[in-house]
Amino acid sequence: MRDNIKGGALTETTFLILLATCNPIHGYGIMQFIETETKGRVALGAGTLYGAINTLQKKGWIEPIGNSQNDVKKDYIITQLGKQVAADEQRRLVEISHLAEKVLGGISA
Amino acid sequence: MKKTVIKYFIDFTDKQEKWLNEMAARGFRLVRCGKLMYKFEQSALAEYQYHVEFVGEKSHTKHTDYKRFLEDLGYRIICKNINLNWSIGKVRFRPWGDGAGKFATSPGAYSKELLIVEKRNDGKPFDLHTDTQDLAVYFKVVRNAYFCVGVMGIVFAALFTTSILTTFDFAWGVLPKWCGGVLFALVGIIGVFFGTKYALIAKQYSELGKTNE
Repeated sequence: MRDNIKGGALTETTFLILLATCNPIHGYGIMQFIETETKGRVALGAGTLYGAINTLQKKGWIEPIGNSQNDVKKDYIITQLGKQVAADEQRRLVEISHLAEKVLGGISA
Repeated sequence: MKKTVIKYFIDFTDKQEKWLNEMAARGFRLVRCGKLMYKFEQSALAEYQYHVEFVGEKSHTKHTDYKRFLEDLGYRIICKNINLNWSIGKVRFRPWGDGAGKFATSPGAYSKELLIVEKRNDGKPFDLHTDTQDLAVYFKVVRNAYFCVGVMGIVFAALFTTSILTTFDFAWGVLPKWCGGVLFALVGIIGVFFGTKYALIAKQYSELGKTNE
């Protein structure tokens, strides 16, 4: 997954997974959380989710909880670093939203 | 009612997936499959949905990990081969593989190049890859596998039609050597054709990925 480091922008998939993992949650839970919270606008495929979870674990933004590999279902939780990254993204989104409002005006529909 | 079908797909992801979904729509659920054989049992019409995923680049460890991840999500997984080799206990070199996935052993990741993923039909489309960057990465892997086989086919065809392979008998000398040339040329053409098909799909998603997710 490409996350634009220079601009600090996260992909939507990344940001949504970070939000989903603010409480301990397993893979299926993440998919459900995203689909429910975006009212079906974003439906994450299992393969994409698998890749994203691995990438985020490598970056140390989320981590599995519980013991060894042989857990039936792995739960994931956001790390301190992950929370920081998510907060930065929130700030960026608010900023860009303000800018859009200034230029384009308020949202009508 | 049970049904057995003998079939092989050269377009191993798209066509196979389409066919399995057509079978499911007619009320046939895939029970298991062999190298060329598919066994179905009767189910309700369109009770299941299928997705065929290429995982031939993955090492045995990653293959197992991915499979378990999908099973945890509640999908049923059936492993499927692409190759048509009946050998047991061999090691294969797969240049398109990723890391340890370059070598496939049997038993291991060999002959399990595809995952047939089954889920109960919930009326929503069934895709494993949903963002453009991820789709581009996935189709590049499929493209590489086809191109790799295609290039190898062309190289072998060239070896057979020139005099380089003088000491080697095609099909133990039962068939004349030009049969080997034709066979490998065919493999080469098929590989390049489908390699191009998936290259174009990958490129489309790469382009889209520059502005959209």
